[in-house]
Amino acid sequence: MMFDLIRNKLNALGCEAWEMTETNETRWEFYQIGHKLDQNRAVKLSGTEVKVYVKSADGQFLGSALDTISPTATEAEIDAALAKLTYQASLVKNPYYTLTDRPVQTAGADGAGSGSSKDCPVDIAAIAGDFLKVFSSIPESDIRRLNSTEIFVSGICKHFANSRGVECEYIYPSSELEVIVNAKKDGHEVELYRIYHSGKCDSKRLTDDICRVMGFGEDRLSAVPTPKLGSFDVLFSTSDACEIYEYFADKMHADFIVRKISDWKIGKSICPDAKGDLITLRALPSLPNSSKNYPVDREGCEVYDRYLIRGGIAENYCGSRQFSQYLGLEKSSLLTNLEVEGGSKSEAELRSGDYLEIVEFSDFQVDSMGGDIAGEIRLGYLHRGGTVTIVTGGSISGSMNEAMKDMSFSKERVQYDNRLIPAVTLLKGLRVTGVE
Amino acid sequence: MKAPFSPYLQSIAPALKALVAELGRDYDYVSVLSTDSAGFRISISQRAKSVSNQSMTTERGSVVRVYKNGRYSEYAFNEFDPADTAGKAAEIRAALDAQFKLLKAAGQEIYETGKLADEPLTLFVEKETEQLPESADLSSLVDMMTGFSDEGMKTVPGALDVMVAATSTHICKLFLTANRDLRQSYVFTEASAASYAPGKNGDIKFAYEGVSGCGGPEIISGLKAKIDALPKVVTDLTGSEPIVPGEYDIITEPGVTGLIAHEAFGHGVEMDMFVKGRALGAEYIGKRVGSDLVTMHEGARCDESVTAYAFDDEGTLAGDVVEIDRGILRTGICDALAALRLGIAPTGNGKRENFAHKVYTRMTNTVFDSGSDTLEDMIASIENGYLLTGMDSGMEDPKHWGIQCIINRGYEIKDGKLTGKVVSPVIMTGYVPDVLGSVSMASGDRRVDGNGACGKGHKEWVKVADGGPYLKMKARLG
Repeated sequence: MMFDLIRNKLNALGCEAWEMTETNETRWEFYQIGHKLDQNRAVKLSGTEVKVYVKSADGQFLGSALDTISPTATEAEIDAALAKLTYQASLVKNPYYTLTDRPVQTAGADGAGSGSSKDCPVDIAAIAGDFLKVFSSIPESDIRRLNSTEIFVSGICKHFANSRGVECEYIYPSSELEVIVNAKKDGHEVELYRIYHSGKCDSKRLTDDICRVMGFGEDRLSAVPTPKLGSFDVLFSTSDACEIYEYFADKMHADFIVRKISDWKIGKSICPDAKGDLITLRALPSLPNSSKNYPVDREGCEVYDRYLIRGGIAENYCGSRQFSQYLGLEKSSLLTNLEVEGGSKSEAELRSGDYLEIVEFSDFQVDSMGGDIAGEIRLGYLHRGGTVTIVTGGSISGSMNEAMKDMSFSKERVQYDNRLIPAVTLLKGLRVTGVE
Repeated sequence: MKAPFSPYLQSIAPALKALVAELGRDYDYVSVLSTDSAGFRISISQRAKSVSNQSMTTERGSVVRVYKNGRYSEYAFNEFDPADTAGKAAEIRAALDAQFKLLKAAGQEIYETGKLADEPLTLFVEKETEQLPESADLSSLVDMMTGFSDEGMKTVPGALDVMVAATSTHICKLFLTANRDLRQSYVFTEASAASYAPGKNGDIKFAYEGVSGCGGPEIISGLKAKIDALPKVVTDLTGSEPIVPGEYDIITEPGVTGLIAHEAFGHGVEMDMFVKGRALGAEYIGKRVGSDLVTMHEGARCDESVTAYAFDDEGTLAGDVVEIDRGILRTGICDALAALRLGIAPTGNGKRENFAHKVYTRMTNTVFDSGSDTLEDMIASIENGYLLTGMDSGMEDPKHWGIQCIINRGYEIKDGKLTGKVVSPVIMTGYVPDVLGSVSMASGDRRVDGNGACGKGHKEWVKVADGGPYLKMKARLG
């Protein structure tokens, strides 16, 4: 009812264009200290995000302004909010562009589905129950244990419409988990942190990964300070590698092209002097159990399958309606799910010779704008001269602009929520600052 | 003028009190936090402009906390009919009962906790501001910020764009229990100017300057000085080189000092982490963690910044805690539930990302005390090192006291003089007691910055501020 009320008022405004998204979310949260319940929380939210567009008198510019109408808003408050948005939009002068008018299908994919946005059929109790079962069944010991966990399970219902006749409703599950793992021996205790996102609960994958992290914890107990390695090859075999591929995806964003942060051109090589594996990057509307499986982006544009980069050649930009149109693209959408094709070698082949495999960082970062790579090492495996040394401390640094010239990644792949990427990625010649 | 308390919250307060009373029949403790915070965000660049009435801190909704049989539960909502408090109470009971049914079926044990105190208290605070975000002249602000961007494009060498952004929020919060009625209203504003330009290695260098404070949109005009400073910063960055990794004597400017205060130490003494056994700080109370020059305060009362509230999201009055006193760790900061579990008093640091999120122990203003040295003397005392400027990001490590700070740039110092050579970016790592133990000089001035946001782990974003004086210390740079 609120949706129709706002839509009618938007139609009566006489503005150039509008778009609106009603969101209804039901969320269950469980917090545990060890295996004891710290707190339980339930959340029920609704709201309607409204964007009003106003064209300048000469037709050259389009301005927009955004607000969320509270479900408690009175009709008078809605009228005042829309009048305010109309005025605010008139202050903004962007080169003219249009909203999407492409009809979209909202057939569900892996948990996403169509339906009434007030009737959210995602069974969050069942999903939350599955997560609770996983945490109660993780094998623990005197050395390794779960310190604390946080479970967030949402059923989200969206209803989008714009002034050009596009309208769709869709529903999807979204889960987030925070897991803290401890390993302790001889009075020495270490902690490892993980945050997982998914649609529903994939019990096996989650159990396997938490057990792997616990193994890392045990290894860290016997780690020695990272030696000063200077320029060294670094292998990434955890979700941190997603950061590396985000760099490539960001460089293909229309926003980055318009803002001149990226100069990658369609049909041209992104790295003409590359001698390693060539990147192939594909945008997908869905991946199994991704938390981002929705049929349209926030502007109502259909999320569709296309290559962003194929064999090291830029093929399609992605991005918002505004920036895509500035590049002359009539069809585009924001990125939701991303697939990276495997490389030319197997993981076993990449794991030959000397390299530093880092499985725990404080916070691994690849700066999409400047290409700077940085991270403090919490746990690594130094493979050198046929021996493996467990190391901790120190940091790595480097530049993706250089590293992409000779990077390698495995044929085997692994999925982290909405990213399907090579299982291992090797960046050569990063600077490794030790603590010795 | 005083920032007026929300008429909406004023209007629903009697019904919320009725809701507390209604739920009080089933639960031993009931509180409700209701928020109504309006604001704006303006973003101006040469490529795109936008205006929004949404920001990280704009919100309207309520969260109820209830306690029974050693358990705490919460229910957050943003639909509320003041005429149907019985219906809302039934909705809350039904949702929490459904959760308990699942928990019981799963054989879930409870972390039993005592009941929160509920001493009678009434507070009504309306802080001073020159302007309110909801009635600000956005047309003038857009014009002013467009002028800043245009001016920057003329003066910043090689600039590909100059981006100017501002956010202003009028925070209104109401906290009620059977015995408490706390109401506060204040405005905070932050603004930034950023530019990027090609570096000498074909990369892009990014420069950022900000202003912030407890006040209205009038604070945005302070960006003029930052726009004036951008050309030198960008020139320094585009001519910079990678640093040769190693251990150096360093001087941290107040922004970097604040980053160290926040990441290196602040997170490590958030005492909800003590409850979980996740913080090394618990073992260091009363012990030395820094040199005699290190004294650190934490609390919403420490500075009139972006987080200068009168009470926190659990109805605890704002504090000013001396965490480190001349190198000795005295105490940490604490939300109300963690305090109850540790048997200590809460410090006014229970914060939520918004009404729909859980309370955690969070920082407010985290600030090192000033010393008596001059920056000139500090530079003159260094044989081979760097003056580090501009915070990019940091990551906490409360369990092991590792430190990771990514710093925008470093200015080389040789034989007591700045050489003009610039390195960027700089990753600073080390072990907290070693880093703080090496502090050997502190300047007499100090600055507190409140731009940006802080996460707990990789989520739960809240506004914080941090700072201090210039500090001289030793650290590993890479």
